Amino acid sequence: MKQTLISAVLLIMAVVLPLLVGENPYLIGILISVLMMATLSSAWNIVGGYAGQYSFGHAAYFGAGAYTTMIMLSVFNTNPLIGMAAGIAVACLIALITGSIVFRLRGHYFALASIAVAEIVRLTVLNLGFTGGAQGILLTDVAFFGLDMNSKNPFYYGMLFSLALTLAITAYIHKSKTGYYLQAIREDQDAAASLGINLSFYKNKALMISAALTSVVGSIYAVYIRFIDTTAVLDLRMSIEIILTAIIGGVGTLWGPVLGAVLLVPLAEALRSNLLGSVMFKYGIVSETSPVGIFLKDGLAHAHVLVYGIITVLCILYLPKGILGFFRRGK
Amino acid sequence: MTRHLLDIDHVSKHFGGNVAVSDACFSVEEKQIFGLIGPNGAGKTTLFNCITGYFPLTSGQIVFNGSRINNRRPDEICRLGMARTWQRVKPLCNLTVLENVMVGAFATTNATRTAETMARQQLQAVGLVEYADKPAGSLPIGLKKKLELARVMATRPKMLLLDEICGGLNHTETASILDIIRTLRNGGMTIVFIEHDMKAVTSICDRIVVLNSGEKLAEGTPEQITSNPDVIAAYLGGGHHAQD
Repeated sequence: MKQTLISAVLLIMAVVLPLLVGENPYLIGILISVLMMATLSSAWNIVGGYAGQYSFGHAAYFGAGAYTTMIMLSVFNTNPLIGMAAGIAVACLIALITGSIVFRLRGHYFALASIAVAEIVRLTVLNLGFTGGAQGILLTDVAFFGLDMNSKNPFYYGMLFSLALTLAITAYIHKSKTGYYLQAIREDQDAAASLGINLSFYKNKALMISAALTSVVGSIYAVYIRFIDTTAVLDLRMSIEIILTAIIGGVGTLWGPVLGAVLLVPLAEALRSNLLGSVMFKYGIVSETSPVGIFLKDGLAHAHVLVYGIITVLCILYLPKGILGFFRRGK
Repeated sequence: MTRHLLDIDHVSKHFGGNVAVSDACFSVEEKQIFGLIGPNGAGKTTLFNCITGYFPLTSGQIVFNGSRINNRRPDEICRLGMARTWQRVKPLCNLTVLENVMVGAFATTNATRTAETMARQQLQAVGLVEYADKPAGSLPIGLKKKLELARVMATRPKMLLLDEICGGLNHTETASILDIIRTLRNGGMTIVFIEHDMKAVTSICDRIVVLNSGEKLAEGTPEQITSNPDVIAAYLGGGHHAQD
């Protein structure tokens, strides 16, 4: 009951947020990135957090959504929703093939195999003609029920919808037989099998749901950016970012991945745009020409990936159950 | 008229050149408490793993309740009504005690509420109600063994395979587990029981099979087994040295 109320309040806040931000495309862009990473990480959480199967290849499903949608739009000129549906089908197919092969493996071997499958998908797309190869696919114009697709707002609400959908599905799974079975598989696969749980069926089910939701985000992202190539949507870095967000927020919890995205995406953006340095220069705390100023401007801004990495390592060392897990230690 | 619930028919299991179980043959009747004993490395747990689908057989066949179950998956065998516990307990550590038992109960229902009701009944039966909301990983070993029992009982089995359910327990804990098993027997449960504790085995079993180096050494009632010279030799190690 309390959780439903909190969810409702958060949803209303998220719906009105663009009105408060107004016509600031930069801020809306960051909010879209937050929602996108929150959804991806929550979708990964179903198979990674609940079933404990650490997939390092979720970029494949994101890419499946993005590429299928872009090909449907640029070649067949369909409605983006049809592209999205086709993307879900392709992602589920890849998930089913992947799952039936790699779910025979456990632990580290499963993680390695999931990377291998994602790399196979990436290299295949890179070398095929109709996927645009290394050039990628560019979309010049898109129509969607008369909405202004040059504004960022439709994409904000699209991402918000996919996040709400993903969380609703996760909450439903959490309370159902499937949720209990996935957690049993995470805790001990032999014990789970001895209690009548069909391991490969439930692992594949979790992966299919996760892949479908991930591909939805890929579809929205592709139409939003209107340009995709393998580096943008199929890179291993993407898969790892999804996992880190979930781990830092708290795996196996409903809100953990969302929390991770809310903290990490703006942090990465602040580091990238040298927010700390600009504020200090603006208020004259540090002079731009002083050694500290030069470090902030040239050193820190360029080393944002390093800082991001250090924060991740600290979180893993000191908050192994994620931020949400840390505060729920008693439970 | 009693009927066979489980038939072990010329079952062998080799790991490479190592013969773990060799040509084992025995039958378990309905409502029997059946003891499987033998020295360390006799192949008792291997045989359990073969029966419950964790190891494929090298040869032979296993029939449970009228259907062949070798080559079936562990989860299928469980849903046919054969449940097992583990020598090294396998609690789902990050789930609560209640949730552990609910996972078992979901074998016969899809509804979360029904599963919870069934799980609470099983916790009542083994005396773990007060621990329902504790994480399973936090229980001491004696209670973890009880949790294993409650969890497999929640799957509503026709037959229970207990792998050293009293192993590592003190006298009080062992007595309390044996009480639960007696209650189960009175309720009509068929139980196969691997145990080292001879006192526990002879006090509770109707029939006993002794395995030694993977082969069946003897079969009979507890009285026949405890007076069998081959069994005594196997347990004391090297028969003729002892006689000399």
